Amino acid sequence: MTTDINHILIFRTNIQTKRDKLRIQHELDTLDTIQQWNIDLEDIDCVLRIVSDRLTPEQIISVVKDSGFECSELE
Amino acid sequence: MRTRNADKEELVRQNAIDMLVKDGFQDFSMNRLAKESGISVATLYIYYQDKDDLIKKIGVAIGNNFFAEMLKDFSAAMPFKEGLKKQWENRARVALAHPKEAACYEIIRHSSHGEYILKESLKDFKFAMGDFFHNAVKRKELVPVSVEVFWSVAYGPLYTLLRFHGEGKSIGGMPFKFSKKTMDEAFELVIKALTP
Repeated sequence: MTTDINHILIFRTNIQTKRDKLRIQHELDTLDTIQQWNIDLEDIDCVLRIVSDRLTPEQIISVVKDSGFECSELE
Repeated sequence: MRTRNADKEELVRQNAIDMLVKDGFQDFSMNRLAKESGISVATLYIYYQDKDDLIKKIGVAIGNNFFAEMLKDFSAAMPFKEGLKKQWENRARVALAHPKEAACYEIIRHSSHGEYILKESLKDFKFAMGDFFHNAVKRKELVPVSVEVFWSVAYGPLYTLLRFHGEGKSIGGMPFKFSKKTMDEAFELVIKALTP
């Protein structure tokens, strides 16, 4: 399956540890408008990558911030 | 609207291979790769999910390309000597033309992603090589040996010579360059050992 690159959203976060990831996992897994997501815990920007054909960057940022993390879109 | 840029993607791939070969696995970072490739971190993450995804994709791509090259003009039905000669020529060509890719493939193969890239890229090649071996045994063109002994005798000398070439020197630090003459000489000895 190939992903439409226009449906990929990239964010810089401070989701740094496996424990942090578990905290956000529930929120992101329950959003059925997200087709796929992952966080690169090894990266300095703790990049959050979202595949969604409907959500806007602002909506994602608000979900992440509501869980207590920083989040800004990477252009 | 984003569009894919094939040239940029190829540049990223080349830079990733350079970095992996030069600095190894642990020091490799997506951020540095983006910087060295002159693209934003976001663009890099559009191409690849994360570092693991990038390494796996690069490994599989190198593997697919190499194994396709190794099967060029080769068939498992070939007489043993002719088929093995073709394998030597193809393998030497690939190793000499793409030393960095070959080194990178080895690094990934010996990492935790090794099994994955072998599973994804080796398939057709493994079947062809297996058939070639069994055909040769069936036609009695090959002395009966285990696959492991066969492989080490059939290809060991070639890979040793290619390694000397890569290092630019052989045992005792003697300067060394791979040549067709050296390859043919070693090949004839291998044939002598493996044929009844």
